[in-house]
Amino acid sequence: MTERKTGTISVDLSIPVQADLVVLARLAAATLASRAGFGVEDIEDLRLAVEELCLSLVGSREHGRLHLSYECEGDAIEVACWYEDDHAVDSARLVRADDLSLRILDALVDEHGRGLRDGRAGAWLRKRRSDRVV
Amino acid sequence: MDQTFTIDDEEIDGIPVVSASGEIDVATAPPLRDRLQALSSSGKPTVVVNLLGVTFLDSTALGVLVGALKRCRETGGDLPLVIDEPRILRVFEITGLTGVFSIFGSVKAAVQSVRCT
Repeated sequence: MTERKTGTISVDLSIPVQADLVVLARLAAATLASRAGFGVEDIEDLRLAVEELCLSLVGSREHGRLHLSYECEGDAIEVACWYEDDHAVDSARLVRADDLSLRILDALVDEHGRGLRDGRAGAWLRKRRSDRVV
Repeated sequence: MDQTFTIDDEEIDGIPVVSASGEIDVATAPPLRDRLQALSSSGKPTVVVNLLGVTFLDSTALGVLVGALKRCRETGGDLPLVIDEPRILRVFEITGLTGVFSIFGSVKAAVQSVRCT
């Protein structure tokens, strides 16, 4: 974790593509959001959104790694995720995202997108802290 | 918050009830899928799925439930769900699945609805 300047926190995480390890991606998101003062409902939304972000890149893959970058600044958290495999061709292949994943992301975050970055398949989301009181 | 995933089976008034608890995600959805497939294969057209103890549910879990619902309906049955946690219900709402599943607030209500059909 890096605190670049007051109010900005940056966290990087790299996990193998393995079903029982995706929980680490949402745990990091929840921890960061809690530290940033997000409410319980916002944290739960972010946990689910990060899960779907990862799933939208993994598809049926059972190898490779997911790299996640979390950045919290002000009232927003941005999470970028990209897939990397030993085979460059597979790293650059953007699998078709599940329709349910996209609907969940549409509903839970302020912005999200996906595409290729530096030859690797990636996806990102941005969620602002809401005024919901829980 | 108990995040341990468990699946329990019972029969109430002859209706199979599968109760899941904990977090249903990409890692834990497969055992639920297998359990529902096994019930379907054993000739149970309708299965009540009790999600009262579920604390997290992702699109993989939704996919498992949609697949099980399809199998049930193909054999003239149904897959009523039991949900009382607003956060879990919200996942069904935002994906448009509240109009697809029959959703009840208690196991008793779900079983009664099956017995009345």
